[in-house]
Amino acid sequence: MTASRAVSPAHLLTQMAGERQTGVLVVGGHPGGAVYLLEGHVIYAESPAAPGVGELLTASGRLAGRTWQNALDLGTSTARVGRLLVEQGHLTQGELELCVLGAIYDAAYFALSPVSAPVEFLTGATHWLGAVVHVEPEAVNREVARRVVLLDEIFPDARVDTTAVAPVVRPPRERITLTSLQWELLVHADGQRTPADLALLLGKAGYTCVQELRRMAALGLIELPEIPAPGPEFVRLPRARGTAVDAHRPAPPPPVEKKTGAYPVREEKALPVRLDDSPTVPVVAGARVTASVPVPAPPPPDPPRHLIADEPRPPRLARRKPGAKLPKEVAGEPPPVHPGTDEVLLKRIRTALRALR
Amino acid sequence: MPGVDHCLQEAMAIPGAVGASIVDYTTGFPVATTGTAPNSDHEAAAAGTADVVQAATSRSLFVSAVPHDLLEDLIITTAGGYHLLRLVQTDFDSRLVLYVWLDRVQGNLAVARRRMQKLADELVVAT
Repeated sequence: MTASRAVSPAHLLTQMAGERQTGVLVVGGHPGGAVYLLEGHVIYAESPAAPGVGELLTASGRLAGRTWQNALDLGTSTARVGRLLVEQGHLTQGELELCVLGAIYDAAYFALSPVSAPVEFLTGATHWLGAVVHVEPEAVNREVARRVVLLDEIFPDARVDTTAVAPVVRPPRERITLTSLQWELLVHADGQRTPADLALLLGKAGYTCVQELRRMAALGLIELPEIPAPGPEFVRLPRARGTAVDAHRPAPPPPVEKKTGAYPVREEKALPVRLDDSPTVPVVAGARVTASVPVPAPPPPDPPRHLIADEPRPPRLARRKPGAKLPKEVAGEPPPVHPGTDEVLLKRIRTALRALR
Repeated sequence: MPGVDHCLQEAMAIPGAVGASIVDYTTGFPVATTGTAPNSDHEAAAAGTADVVQAATSRSLFVSAVPHDLLEDLIITTAGGYHLLRLVQTDFDSRLVLYVWLDRVQGNLAVARRRMQKLADELVVAT
């Protein structure tokens, strides 16, 4: 296992593949992700910003939720969920392979595109889906780099990829033409959902959603984030987030714990909070809820809605196990002041209200 | 059970087939390839394939003429060959097209089109 450090995820992937390693490359940051290797070949990738195979198959209605759950229950421990689905006749081999390939390249884009991120490699880890396909890591890296360029050619503003989608109230021209995915995105954008939320909700590839959103941004159909100077924590990120994560786990386990470490350049743009280090959890949603609590900065502690509040807690704390005690040093502190949060929050509320009108 | 590799093998068995690939047409990425590509560059060919499909689906009105219409094939004939694109319709979200390059002399357009239709269906429909 390598220590978590800020390096280029793509570079580390090449290195691990060169050594024909088996394990998982866990990429921290926002949105982060994980790339699974089997003897130097990529067999799966996942990211909170990209729907996984399960979401793709169930959201489209291709598989009933129960069928998928059954396969998970039976096959997770032996890492053959994919094979089971084919053997039981729920999917054809072709469908499974195409679905997994799509999911790999989709998640790899989010996991590997940051120039630098806290990355670590857990040797020996394997994925419950099993090895359905084997992809050359070089092909993945090349494709990720190409996808980055493709997006910038459409509309060179990466803030579109991560901030909540708000359609403009009045279209900039008399007649507009939309693709069906663009329509779906606009209809489901409520000023609160981020592109990742929309991708999961609709069961569409995360990259494709981002691509269509950039196209719509280029056409002036969605509001651009109004926040000017990009900084590491410039949107709805209270400063104390790092300490809160440490408190959440006193004995620091290896994965992606260095939240306070250097953030990659690409990520310093309007990225949602990750409260948790597990790359599989779409924590984007949780973070948004916390951040959008419409309370001015030094609050009479308003319990965050996503926690079952058995005591008043400052809203900046990370998710904890149910019933876990509030760490003393945090409980004693006065509620932190978040400079600048007011204005950002108010702007976001204004955008949301406008979208409702 | 026919997988992706099997599908491409079968595509190469079509009379006159020179190369075949499955392309993601949102990004122009060859998900799987076999045989030769025009200019021996599968990635460039895939990017071009994606442009053609995009042109037919979103930049022209062919597909939106009738409600619930669907693009099936795109066929490009050149003096030296046939280029057949068959959209792979999956139930889950994907945007894939099966591409086969045929030699003009040995290839038979009608036969190839029928075979590709069968291949694309078998890939995603349980038989």
